[in-house]
Amino acid sequence: MLEKIKNNFNTQTWVLIPIAIAINIAVGQIVLLLKLPVFLDSIGTVLVAVLCGPWAGALTGALSNIIWGIAIDPGALPWWPVAFFIGYMAGRMAGWGFFKSWWKVVVTGFVVALTAAIVSTPIAVYLFGGITASGSSFITAYLLQTGQGIWSAVVSTSFLTEPVDKITTAMLAFAIIQGLPKRTIGGYPKAEQAAVEGEANKNQLYIAVGVVVLLVLFAAFMLRNILGG
Amino acid sequence: MHERLSFYVQRSSAIHDLNPLTKVILTLALILIAFTSPWYWTPHLLVLIAIIPLSFLGRVAPEFFKTAIRLILPAAGFLFLMQAFFQPVGESVIFKFYFLDVTQESLMFAFRSSMRVFVMVSAFTFMLLTTHPSELMSDLTRRGLPGQFAYVIISTLQILPQMQAKAQTIISAQRSRGLDTESSFLKRAGSVVPLVGPLVFGSLAEVEERAIAIEARGFTSKKIKTSLHEIADSNSDKIIRWVLTILVIISIALKIWLS
Repeated sequence: MLEKIKNNFNTQTWVLIPIAIAINIAVGQIVLLLKLPVFLDSIGTVLVAVLCGPWAGALTGALSNIIWGIAIDPGALPWWPVAFFIGYMAGRMAGWGFFKSWWKVVVTGFVVALTAAIVSTPIAVYLFGGITASGSSFITAYLLQTGQGIWSAVVSTSFLTEPVDKITTAMLAFAIIQGLPKRTIGGYPKAEQAAVEGEANKNQLYIAVGVVVLLVLFAAFMLRNILGG
Repeated sequence: MHERLSFYVQRSSAIHDLNPLTKVILTLALILIAFTSPWYWTPHLLVLIAIIPLSFLGRVAPEFFKTAIRLILPAAGFLFLMQAFFQPVGESVIFKFYFLDVTQESLMFAFRSSMRVFVMVSAFTFMLLTTHPSELMSDLTRRGLPGQFAYVIISTLQILPQMQAKAQTIISAQRSRGLDTESSFLKRAGSVVPLVGPLVFGSLAEVEERAIAIEARGFTSKKIKTSLHEIADSNSDKIIRWVLTILVIISIALKIWLS
């Protein structure tokens, strides 16, 4: 276990982490300025997770949330476990080979979004009684007024808002890694996770479309169940 | 050159002289007690009898109140409004606004959770105002924190303002070339890549050079490093830390006992 954690960290990892934290925060602020309905504040976290491994990603996520909370928006502080698991999950998915072509990256983004939704729910419920200072709480409030339980209201809100953000984040991180020269990437502990698989053939494309359709159906089914129950 | 991101205010006071670890424990204790104490008024009282007097004792009161008004009150206030309107608890409706009721219970709930957030952030602010980040890190390293963590924290504080300045430059440069950052949704979404790309690629290019530079300075060496700067750790520091730890344990125990 300890060995597995340690092999995420070489000197390049330690140098990349502060830069990734700064990327998270700076890009998050750019997106805020563009007034887009996403956050994109974990691109750096996903980069570290893919290039160095899940534990390095988790550390980057947690630290950038804490620094963001202290320096910019205090409301972000209690959410560091969410960022921790975003980094961890992105690293795990990359370790399982799900960061090698664009459709796999979409799947990674979706899984990361589910993780974020699951981890953020207890924090929202226990610390804030379900209503946080984020704009998406309007949805939660609406669901609560329609008579839903607090847990299902918070979970449904996250399922509605997270996937778009996390899939975009994963796609951008993928594009960035593909754009970097090979020799820049070579020094990181898990560089091989980011190597693109041969040329994507037609079959893979069909599988990709199938997976996306299935995931959307699954999400719709889950949501209907939650909303109905 | 850009300054590093730091709230530290150089003064001489009893608080500034405390060991950095004592101040960290004080901050964590305040937060834990505010969140775990079963008594409704604890967070409110903590602000009045602990955090505000401490900021006077540390002679950072003007800076503390400035940060509180500019940064903490808006966040806590917004949370208060959201919760007061949207918490569906309670029976005694004070007033109605379309489908939203503000009840006495939801007001009380909102007041407590915004005060908790206030305690959390103001305790952190207080610590940052009175503790120099490098001093905190070298003290923690002396106590066994791996040097790599200290490097991550300190260099993040240094890189972040540089990165934000670089982002500003890129935004201005792309705008002057006619990049649309203000009109329709699709145009704005399309300008993410030309803004994010240069920023990220530019900063990732530095990584290898930095890695070689710190490697040459013995970054990964296992030898124990000596410090030029000695940080005092008196007996009263130790007593304060123990008292705080016991208070936190009592608060958590009461919470479990009463629930």
